[in-house]
Amino acid sequence: MNLFNVIYAGSNQALSAAEGLLKQAIEEKGRDHKVVFPETAYSLPIIYAATGLKMTTLADLEGAIGVVKSLIVEEPRLEQALNAGLATAVSAEIIEAIKYALNETPYDAPCAGHITDATIRSLGVPLVTGDIPGVAVVLGKCPDSETAAKVIKDYQSKGLLTFLVGDIIDQAIEANVKMGLELRVIPLGYDVTSVIHVVSVAIRASLIFGGVEPGKLAEHMEYTKNRVPAFVNAFGPLSELVVSAGAGAIALGFPVITDQVVPEVPTLLLTQKDYDKIPATSLEARNIKIKVTEIPIPVGFAAAFEGERVRKDD
Amino acid sequence: MSETKMVSLDEMDEQLIQKAEAEGVETMWDRKKAMKAPCGFGEKGVCCRICAMGPCRVSPVEGKGAQRGICGATADTIVARNLARMIAAGTSAHSDHARDIAHVMHMASRDGNYTIKDERKLLSLAEEWEVNTEGRDIYDVAHEVAEIALNEFGKPFGTLKFLERAPEPRKKIWRELDIEPRAIDREIATIMHSTHMGCTSDAESLLKIGMRTALADGWGGSMIGTVFSDILFGTPVPRETEANLGVLEEKQVNIILHGHEPSLSEMIVMAAQDPQIIKLAEEVGAEGINLAGMCCTGNEVTMRHGVKIAGNFFQQELAVLTGVIEAVIVDVQCIFPSLTPITDCYHTKFITTSPKAKITGATHIEFNEEKALESAKSIVREAIENFKNRKKEKVFIPQTKNQATLGYSVEAIIKQLDRVVNSNIDPQGTVKPLADVIKAGVLRGAAGIVGCNNPKVKHDYSHIEIMKKLIANDVIVVTTGCAAQAAAKAGLTSKDAAKLAGKGLQAVCELVDIPPVLHMGSCVDISRILTLVGETAKHMGVDNCDLPVVGVAPEWMSEKAVAIANYVIASGIDVFLGVEPPVMGSAAVVDMLTNKLEEMTGAKFFIDTDPHKLSAMMLDRIEEKRAKLEARLGKEIEYGITRAEEEEEGVKELA
Repeated sequence: MNLFNVIYAGSNQALSAAEGLLKQAIEEKGRDHKVVFPETAYSLPIIYAATGLKMTTLADLEGAIGVVKSLIVEEPRLEQALNAGLATAVSAEIIEAIKYALNETPYDAPCAGHITDATIRSLGVPLVTGDIPGVAVVLGKCPDSETAAKVIKDYQSKGLLTFLVGDIIDQAIEANVKMGLELRVIPLGYDVTSVIHVVSVAIRASLIFGGVEPGKLAEHMEYTKNRVPAFVNAFGPLSELVVSAGAGAIALGFPVITDQVVPEVPTLLLTQKDYDKIPATSLEARNIKIKVTEIPIPVGFAAAFEGERVRKDD
Repeated sequence: MSETKMVSLDEMDEQLIQKAEAEGVETMWDRKKAMKAPCGFGEKGVCCRICAMGPCRVSPVEGKGAQRGICGATADTIVARNLARMIAAGTSAHSDHARDIAHVMHMASRDGNYTIKDERKLLSLAEEWEVNTEGRDIYDVAHEVAEIALNEFGKPFGTLKFLERAPEPRKKIWRELDIEPRAIDREIATIMHSTHMGCTSDAESLLKIGMRTALADGWGGSMIGTVFSDILFGTPVPRETEANLGVLEEKQVNIILHGHEPSLSEMIVMAAQDPQIIKLAEEVGAEGINLAGMCCTGNEVTMRHGVKIAGNFFQQELAVLTGVIEAVIVDVQCIFPSLTPITDCYHTKFITTSPKAKITGATHIEFNEEKALESAKSIVREAIENFKNRKKEKVFIPQTKNQATLGYSVEAIIKQLDRVVNSNIDPQGTVKPLADVIKAGVLRGAAGIVGCNNPKVKHDYSHIEIMKKLIANDVIVVTTGCAAQAAAKAGLTSKDAAKLAGKGLQAVCELVDIPPVLHMGSCVDISRILTLVGETAKHMGVDNCDLPVVGVAPEWMSEKAVAIANYVIASGIDVFLGVEPPVMGSAAVVDMLTNKLEEMTGAKFFIDTDPHKLSAMMLDRIEEKRAKLEARLGKEIEYGITRAEEEEEGVKELA
C-alpha cells in the first residue's frame, strides 16, 4: 500500500464529488444562486482562510474547484500529500456549502452541521484557559456502541470537546451518551464531508483569536498546529476519502489515531487497536496534559456535565 | 544562519592556496598539476606489476593491441586483481586500527589511563559473545572480550562473530555465495595469495574474494573498531561544535589532531585539560590550548568531546598555511608526507607518533600506550613550547566556520527516535519510528554519504551538491569521514539546515529534533550505518537490499574507500561512486560491478562523475526500491497484519 497514492485517490474522489454536485446545483438553481453558511462572518471559512476570497454564489464555487485542482499534485512527497489533504478539505467545504445552498436546514437534530461564529466565540475562552484541554474529532464506526460510548465519555470526563461524525453518532445515542454543546459532545453529521464543520471551527479560531489574515494559509496552519489542540480518531474501515481527509487534518497539525492497520507516521498517524488506550494514545500524540484531581464518587464529574439538565424521568 | 552561508563552499581554500603561492610553498594542487595527464593504463586498471616478468600493460580495448600479459592474464584478470588488492589494503588499514583498539581494551584497568567508559555496551557485547559476566570484575570481562576480538583477526576456524548481527536473509546470501569472512587477517592474506602471479585468473572469483575480504572489514575490523572505541571512550551522544579553519585561535596554542586512532587523540584531549599543561600554555603567553581535529581522528574526538573540526583531508596542508599551528600530531592513515616540507616553511612541528607510520623529516615521538597520558602530555608540551616560535608576519586565519550538531551514534539516534514514540503503543529503544516514516513515504529513503576528497573533483563540491539534492527530496542523509566534515563545514549538520530539506524530512527533523544530515563519526564508524540499516531491515522483516537505502562516495580516494564500497555492496546496499575506479579497462568487470552484482547481492555500483547526474540516479533507484517494498508490504497490510507484528506474536507464543 502506498499511503500517498491512497491520499491522492481520496482527494480526486472528493474533487469529482464536489464538481458533480456543483454542476447539479447550478443546473437546478442557476449560477447566481447564493451560497452561505448561517451566522458566520467568514463566508466559507476554509476557502476564505486559504485564499482570502469570499464565496457568495455557486459561480464563485466554480473558481474554488480550481483551488482544489491546484492543490492536487500527485508526486511522492509529503508536501504534496498534505496539500492533497487540504484539497479534500476544500472539496468537502464546497460540498457542504452546496448542501446549505440547496436546503435551508440540511441538518436535523441531533446533527449540528455548520457551527456558528457565536458558538466558536463562546468556546474561545475555555479553550484559551485550558478549561477545554482539547478537541476530539471522532469519526467512523466502533465495533459496538459500548466501545463508542466508553471512548466518548472518557473525553467528556476529561473536559474535552468532542465532535462526532458518521455512524458513531447512532452508536453514541444507542449507548445513551448525553450530547449537546453544553455537554461538550457535538454530533456533526453522517456524511464524511460534515467533518469539515469542525475544521471550520479550527480555521475560524485562527481568523478570530489568532488574527491571522485571510489568504495566509501557511500562517493559519501554523496557528492551528500550535494553538488548537485537536486530534482525530478514525474508527472502522478507512475509505480512501477518509484517509485523504486525515491528511488534511495532519496538514493542520492534528494527529490521526485509528483502530485500523495503516502505514504509521510517528506522532501524526497512529494505529491503536486497544480501545481502552485510544484516549491516552490520542492525548499523548497531541501533547495534551490534563491535571486530574480524582474525586472518588460513583458518577462522572467534569466541567462537561455542568450544563446537564436532569429530567423528571431520570 | 543565512542559507548562503550554510552551504557556501570553501573560498578559504582559494585564499590559502594564494597565500601558498605568494610564500612559495608547494601544495597538493601544484603537485596535481605537475602530474599532467595520468597514465591511461593505470587509470583503467590494465597495468600489472605483480611479478618481474612485467610490468605488463594490456589494451583496455577488446580485440585491439596487447590482449594478454606475459603470463597470459587478460584485462579482466588484471583489473580484478588490482581491485582486489585495493580492497585488501583498505581492509588491512581498518583492521590494524581495530586491532590496536582491542589491544588497548585488553590493557585497560581501573586505575590506568584507559578505562571502561560504557559498561553497558561492554556487557551487552559480552552477552552477545557468551562471555560470563556474573559476579565478575568488569575489567576481567573487558579483557576476555578483548581477547576474543583479537582472535577474530586470526582464528583458525569458523567465521566472524559480528556477521550474526546481519538480517537473516543477508546471512543466507553470504553463505550461498561463500563469502562469509573467516578471520580478518586471513582474508587479507588470501587476497594477496590469490592475486599472486599464476593464481586466480577469474574475474568473478576475484570479486567474490574481494567482497569476502571487504566484509571482514565492515563486519569485522571496522565494527570492532567502533564498538571497542565506544566501550573505551564512551558512546557518542549529540553535542554542539564548530567546523572549518575559522576554529583556529590566534591567541591560543593550536594543535591539529590528524589521523585515525582514538587511543592517541583521546589521551591528547585529556592531556590538554591537565592543569599543569594549561599553566604551561599560559607561561608561554598563550590564552589556552585549542585542539582542532582533522580527518577521522578529528571525527572521533568531536563525536565524543565536541573538539572543533579544523577541516577534512584536503585541508591538512591548508591548516599549516595559516601559520598558527604549533603542532600537527598524527598517527596513521591519510597523512600527506608533504606535511614535512610544508611545516618546514613555518614554525609548525609535524609530530608522528606511530611506529606504523613514520615519515621522513617529521619529529617522531612514539606514543607509548603503556604510559599513554604521560606520553600524550610530552607531545602536547612540545606543541606548547613551540608557541613562541610563531612567525607573526605569516599568520592568516580565514574567518569561516559553521555550527554543527553531531554525535549521532546508533544509540543516540534511537534515543532521539524515542521522542516520537507513543508510550501507549510502542516500547522505547527501537528503530520503529524510522521504519515507519520510510514505509509511509514521509522519508523517501536514506543515503549514507561517505568518503574522501579527490583532486579529480572540486573540493567538497560533490559532497555538498549531492547532500543538498537528497535532503531536498526527503531522503535523510547519514554521513561519516571527510564527507561528514564537508557537511559540517557547509552547515548541513546544523539543525537549522532542516529548512533546506523537503517537507517530509523537515517534519521528521522537527519532531525528532535532529539535523537533516546526521554525522555518525569516522570511517570505521560506517559500521554504525551497517548496524542502523540492518536493524531497520530486521524490524521490517526484510533484507538490507529491499530498503530504499543507498551508499555514496562522491569524492573517494583511498583504498579504504574501495574496501568500504565493497562491503556496503556485499551487505546489499547500492553504492554510487563520484570518481571512476580503475576498472574501466575491463568491460566484463564493469558489467559485473554495475550489473551482475545485483543478482548476487541485491546491490550494484553506479558510477558517474557528475554529482547532479549521480544524485538523480540515486533518487530513481530509491523510488525503484520503494515500489518493490511497498508492493511487498502492501500485501501484508491487506491481511491486516504486518510481518514485524507476526514475529512479535511468534516471540510471545514462544515465551
